[in-house]
Amino acid sequence: MSVARYDLNKCIGCKSCVTVCPMDVFRFDEAAKKSVIAYPENCQSCGQCFVNCLGRSLTIVNDMYGYAQTSYRAATTVAMNRTAQKVIDR
Amino acid sequence: MAKSISRRDFIKGMAGFGAASAVTALAGMPAAHAESETELVERVTTELPIPEVEAPAKTEYECDVLVIGGGFAGLNAAAAAADQGQRVVMLDKGRPGYSGLSPWPSSHRWADKEMGDDYDALRKCIQHGSEYLGNMDLYEVWLEESKGTYERLRDWGILDQYETAAQSGFYNDSGDPADCSGDYQGYHEKFIQHDRRTKFAAVLKEKGIEYADYTMVTNVIVENNKVCGAVGFHVPSGAIITCHAKAVVMAMGGGCYKPTGFPTGGVTFDGEYIAYNLGLPIAGKEFDDFHMTLSWAPGNAFLNNNWTYLDPLWLCGGDITPETAISYATTKGKVMVLDRVTKSMTGLAVSDGTGVEDMTKQDVTRRGGSTSENPAEVRFGKCNDTMYKGDIYGAAVGFGAHLTNGVFCGLDDLEGRTSIDGLWVSGDGMMACGPTGAAYPTGVGFTSNFVSTMGNRAGKAAAEYAATAELTKISDERIAEETEKILAPLSVEKGFDPNWARDQLMNIMSPYWVYIAKSEATLQAALTQVEYLRDKVVPKLQAASFHDVRLCLEMQHKVLNAELSLRASLARQETRGLHFRTDFPYRDDENFLCFITLQKNADGGMDIEKVPVKDEWKGDLSEDYKSRYTYYFPRELETLGLPAEEETGGWGGKK
Repeated sequence: MSVARYDLNKCIGCKSCVTVCPMDVFRFDEAAKKSVIAYPENCQSCGQCFVNCLGRSLTIVNDMYGYAQTSYRAATTVAMNRTAQKVIDR
Repeated sequence: MAKSISRRDFIKGMAGFGAASAVTALAGMPAAHAESETELVERVTTELPIPEVEAPAKTEYECDVLVIGGGFAGLNAAAAAADQGQRVVMLDKGRPGYSGLSPWPSSHRWADKEMGDDYDALRKCIQHGSEYLGNMDLYEVWLEESKGTYERLRDWGILDQYETAAQSGFYNDSGDPADCSGDYQGYHEKFIQHDRRTKFAAVLKEKGIEYADYTMVTNVIVENNKVCGAVGFHVPSGAIITCHAKAVVMAMGGGCYKPTGFPTGGVTFDGEYIAYNLGLPIAGKEFDDFHMTLSWAPGNAFLNNNWTYLDPLWLCGGDITPETAISYATTKGKVMVLDRVTKSMTGLAVSDGTGVEDMTKQDVTRRGGSTSENPAEVRFGKCNDTMYKGDIYGAAVGFGAHLTNGVFCGLDDLEGRTSIDGLWVSGDGMMACGPTGAAYPTGVGFTSNFVSTMGNRAGKAAAEYAATAELTKISDERIAEETEKILAPLSVEKGFDPNWARDQLMNIMSPYWVYIAKSEATLQAALTQVEYLRDKVVPKLQAASFHDVRLCLEMQHKVLNAELSLRASLARQETRGLHFRTDFPYRDDENFLCFITLQKNADGGMDIEKVPVKDEWKGDLSEDYKSRYTYYFPRELETLGLPAEEETGGWGGKK
């Protein structure tokens, strides 16, 4: 099982999921004030994000992600690669 | 609009769907909580791009006692050290109260003379059930201190008792096996003041303990056999974190090679890897508590087990008496050990999802609990919820037998003190040589109490040491060296995805002929593959983000653990508790009433040694075999030339 988005509209930006997840699954978009399910393949299905989600924006599904959703990741990791590069350059 | 379907109806229907079709169905359906809204807005289920994360404001810490890991052991260690007036810092890979194994306990047990516990019966049960490898001196510690531990956790609010989900009405206790539904969020919200996970950080705050979360410690720094602190990184941002400390308590948990979606994924042998590379001996690795599943619903941890996690912790005990001491241990052996052996070898899935009520009742009664729902029976007040138990319980290969795996601190140690000045280990998976030995004959709830008891002892001892020790700061050279190691996977241009490598390791280690019914040939074959992973894949693990860096380092730790585990399994040429060798299918008291330790030698190789247990832990060696051991592995009695027993199977019944 894994966390999944029920409805992003319902995310009220409370950051609960980002705060409680021990598996580093979430990120927070400060500009949009929305959480981001960044790494669902590492969800351990403890469900704490789900029960703590104040806006009820998250759900738990039977899917399990074996690997990163590659095409999705390719499109979204550019920023992360840039951060990593900055640290290496430092 | 089509007939509105409640979330409960939906979940109910989902049991019969394939996972993919269930999600598709969900996407086209209004939610229960949307029913009252007058206008339905189209749902958005796509994610925003992954944003960058700022480094935390503070990246360098200095303290008297550093506690690594914020689970039960770490919390108690930090609190005890702070109570001694020492400056304490905690670093946690996740978040205190949520990380590692701390989300997963369902129960809590202590010894209590006033409630009628017979300590001799308890001693007899654990000595028999641990198959004479249990550390009886540590068990005495537990008998003396466990009630104090219970009271401490109770006072912190971690053991709050409140309505169970079934009692509160949030769980649909219809008894219909196809209906495992309920309003999880509503239940959590109603009893949020009792949420034990929130109490961890509250205790730290109250005691003035500074903590940094999402910080993965990658090494403990030692100079001239004296600890100087630890180095790691803030996982979301990649910022290097250092903590200079006079004393360090490693309470970093055990680990598993987990398939995705399974619980306890945060524990990845980080502490064991660090300790092994510091030259400390590791023990207990041949005893693995892999909850093998061939069940109808692997990986559905949330539905299977989450009521247990949302419900109050089950307070238990009082179920081991002079009359039942041996039969209790025997039953535990059959349930925990023999059942997985027979189930895996026959390929039988015990549960197809039917008979849930019966299974739930069995789950209570086999633990000595009552299903009467009589509120006066407070110590058996839980697990009355009708829920899918499935057959997984956190199935994860690699999981060490509780309290047996970790750093071997010697036969006389009672606090987790290592041979490095200022360094303690504490908790499940971190400190070997616990009272549970080759199996876990204690009854549920023992671990959360025992690790809290030991955390308390380690924290006190570390604080006493720190009170007179000098601080040696970690040198800039060492920080630079550790930084380079942490960042290395980001510079690998062509390599392997850590998630891919994880699956390879999982596939090597999880077949039952490698980890449950072992033999020289299968262990050797697995070891050859693990060595290949170690030499060819681990150096080329590739990270595209700091999240990946964490995964790459964790894979390194898991691969070392697999090697330790396979080598220990090869060395123990007998069968005992959670270690079954098909080529040596019997207990060999003459040669194996010992711990097997693995230690890194000066050449980087692995030294393997046998350390005999104390004579007084061995029980009555003059007793005949069938009194000393009261459940038997396939071909065990036959090989020894003893009369065969009728096969009893385990919890699942006759096979």
